[in-house]
Amino acid sequence: MTDEYANPWLYRLKWLYMLLLVVTLMSPVLYVMYISFNANGFGARAYDFTFEWYRLVFSDTLLLNALRWTLTLAVVVTCITVPFAVLAAKYYKTAQNKLPIVFLLLAPLFVPPDILGSALLVYFKSLNASFIWLGDQLGTSMFDGWFRLSFFTAVIGLIIYTIPYAFIVVLITMGRYRTEQTEAARACGADGWRAFWDIEFPQIRAGVFSACSFCVILVFNEYTRTSLLKGGFDTFTTVLISQMLNTGMSPQSYAMSSMVAFTAIAIIGSIIIFTLIRTESLSRLARAKAEPVMSS
Amino acid sequence: MSETTIATDKAPAVEVKNLSKHYGPVKALRNVDLTIAAGEYFVLLGPSGGGKTTLLRTIGGFHKPTEGQVLLHGRDMSHLPPDKRPTTMVFQAYALFPHMTVLQNVSYGLKVAGIDRKQAEEKAAAMMDVVGLSGFAERKPHELSGGQQQRVQLARALVLDRDILLLDEPLAALDAQLRKDMCLELKHLQEKVGITFIHVTHNQEEAMTVADRIALVADGNLVEHGKARDIYRAPVKKFTASFVGENNMLSGRVSDVNGVSCTVDVAGSQLVVQKRGQQVAHGQPVDLSIRSELVQLSRANGSNNAGDGHSILGSYDEAVYLGLTTSHLVRLPNGVEMTSRTISDAVDDLPTPGDPVRLHWQPEAIRLHTS
Amino acid sequence: MASLTTNSPGGAARSAGETSAVWRERVGRWIFYLPLAFMVVFFAVPMALTVVFSFFERTMFWMEPAFTLFSYNNFFFSARLENFLTSMKYSALAVVICFIFGFPIAVFIRRSIPQVAQHRVILLFILPFMVSEIIRVFALRPVLQRNGLVNTTLMDWGLIDEPITSLLYTHTGVVIGEVLSFLPFIVFAGFLAMEAVPKFIFEVCDDLGVGHRRRFTDVILPLAAPGIFAGAVFIFVNGLGVALLPNILGGPGAVNAGLIATQAITALDFPLAMAVSAIMMATLMGLLYIGHRLFDLTKILTPLN
Repeated sequence: MTDEYANPWLYRLKWLYMLLLVVTLMSPVLYVMYISFNANGFGARAYDFTFEWYRLVFSDTLLLNALRWTLTLAVVVTCITVPFAVLAAKYYKTAQNKLPIVFLLLAPLFVPPDILGSALLVYFKSLNASFIWLGDQLGTSMFDGWFRLSFFTAVIGLIIYTIPYAFIVVLITMGRYRTEQTEAARACGADGWRAFWDIEFPQIRAGVFSACSFCVILVFNEYTRTSLLKGGFDTFTTVLISQMLNTGMSPQSYAMSSMVAFTAIAIIGSIIIFTLIRTESLSRLARAKAEPVMSS
Repeated sequence: MSETTIATDKAPAVEVKNLSKHYGPVKALRNVDLTIAAGEYFVLLGPSGGGKTTLLRTIGGFHKPTEGQVLLHGRDMSHLPPDKRPTTMVFQAYALFPHMTVLQNVSYGLKVAGIDRKQAEEKAAAMMDVVGLSGFAERKPHELSGGQQQRVQLARALVLDRDILLLDEPLAALDAQLRKDMCLELKHLQEKVGITFIHVTHNQEEAMTVADRIALVADGNLVEHGKARDIYRAPVKKFTASFVGENNMLSGRVSDVNGVSCTVDVAGSQLVVQKRGQQVAHGQPVDLSIRSELVQLSRANGSNNAGDGHSILGSYDEAVYLGLTTSHLVRLPNGVEMTSRTISDAVDDLPTPGDPVRLHWQPEAIRLHTS
Repeated sequence: MASLTTNSPGGAARSAGETSAVWRERVGRWIFYLPLAFMVVFFAVPMALTVVFSFFERTMFWMEPAFTLFSYNNFFFSARLENFLTSMKYSALAVVICFIFGFPIAVFIRRSIPQVAQHRVILLFILPFMVSEIIRVFALRPVLQRNGLVNTTLMDWGLIDEPITSLLYTHTGVVIGEVLSFLPFIVFAGFLAMEAVPKFIFEVCDDLGVGHRRRFTDVILPLAAPGIFAGAVFIFVNGLGVALLPNILGGPGAVNAGLIATQAITALDFPLAMAVSAIMMATLMGLLYIGHRLFDLTKILTPLN
């Protein structure tokens, strides 16, 4: 692929520059990991390696509680966002006018977190007020609290946040199958649902799983929208921020952050390695099987 | 196939009534009426973008008609999705399931129908023998050649025992020689299985090879339909004449009408042509067509006499050698080019460019088109 | 063939499931509108309503319907406007720095790395996002502060005698934070954009003897413009809207739109927050509109079709 006349050293230099940039971008993360193993905590001159903080995480009820909420949030959001993204991407593939779809699904990417958070906060507050008013008019209280800030509103905010990423990832993998394949399945007697599971899903599975892991990771790390829209519970990041702004982060929090980072990096790493092995084995299989083909 | 058609023996396989399909302002099909008999090999022929694929896909249930009906075996099925119709389809290309082996591809429809695996695989293997794919069962689609892939598609469709097979440009992605071979195979396969084949193509040679009947579709309209031979030999519409075969198209004005024939003035020559039931009036602009292999070339023998009404004068332009045949291009006084096609080397004394020549033909060879 | 016949089409057995199939088909089509409806109700409408709410009158804890320009007055005739414009300037600077450092990488990946490996190399740039932005931004403090990593290293190397104090709690700090947070996005956008530049273009340029600089300005830039523009708008708008950055890294005067909005929310001045949101949305829409007129932004997604 590389130019045969190009200077190999220049090529290596470019690689080096790229990796250096990645490391620079990663440096805060690596720094947090480094601190999390220090028995003396953040800012100390001395460095004593320890796993102590990791052990303490599991006795820190504040963090554990937050972690539970965050996990629930992540799972619920993923379960809604990814099917939505698949539906939207499928619709995008066949739609005549693609502009509204692209606009609606990608625009949240461009709206800064604080702006989206405030707009939704005020929207939910006024929806709540309107529903209560409506309930009063009808003499019922069944509408009360539908849109009071709660787990539910946080889920909505996070779906809006994660859907562009899931949409793009799914759409990229959807380029793999052609509509003719689905139509062929229909012509073979499969209904739309069956054709999706038998023909389309096996081919976009990798994309769907990547979209799921992205969603979980994004929800885990999101602060602004969650903190504005959540009800009376704490998530992992809101705990961190309140610690930072008040007492400074506890060593357990560094350990917790590192654990999240390790998990996330492991997920991405396994995606890279998995696809690498898969393409490699596929091409080997193809080479082995593609013996001289008999005349057609 | 016997018991499948008992109840519906009298109804034609496909009846399309007043069918229109619009995409916004684009009218892909306009008021198409068409009847296809059971057991027929029917070809939809026409230029790309003319609506023939849209027609086929509407019959198959992949498009919903904007107006009109699709009747299959006498039942209105316009509202049904593809999987509930007695049709199945072979696509142009890329339609195999890439994550399944050939055997899994072919038996997929049977699996969906709930037939048990062993029976389905036996049946699929039998069908693979029919289309000449024995020994390929465990291959993946990407390990097959284009021709083999289309065979898999055929097997996958035929194994379902549906009684209408739709083929959407099935040979378009193959190279010329393979296309010829597979054309003939398709024809024989259809004779063997006896079900209705509806085949879309833009290639007239392909159409002529396989078709019992041909319909020409252009610009969203069904232009003309009839037996393959009739479409070639006796086109009624001007479009048919210009699209099928290598026809010389001449335009002129009617200068005389008498009984069964009329005289048309083309570039100063008076040409006599049979009306064949068409109404013409004096002075009306009309078109004439004549196939190039029916035009004979001879040197103009001195006289500039326009002659007997079955010949025209022009100047020789050039000869194009095509192997089996040679096309002689002749320029008429009004600038139009006419072609006379002969078996190569049949004429040894070729005129040189610029020589005056006479083109002549049998009286019934030339045809009149008023639309 | 007769021996193969099993299920007969067109018979009574087939028609049994037809009505339900038609019904399912119809419902199936509506399901595709669900995500779009969701996005309209919980994204498009709330964003549009910010304009309406921004004209409301502030009450003690909430707001009431009215038509007043008080909030806009509050924004445009105060230090807020100045802060907003300053943050615009520095956000634009961050865009330029991101482009200079990031875009060549997108070109390099597209051009010199084998097709199958390209997406994996891109994944490398996703790694930093695996850690919460607040941690990444917060961890910049010990790196940039007076006796932080950068200053000590530079002093150890003897490049400076005095520690640089302007790295943190200043506009510089915010710009550094923006660059480190958003640089991957110009790589992603550039990567998508370079899809519009076919590989043979490089060979054609070599063949015609076009120099590297001409090749970049005459061929690559125009072709990749829609993607670059989208990436640039993303960074610019987020530089204006992410409150976290000036909050943690900025000093006096480093207040962007996002911070104004969250401060207004904390002060229960909801109409002001909505006015800021509306102004931000107007800025975003304006930029996207200009971009769309100039480059046709739908082209960005054509590689995905």
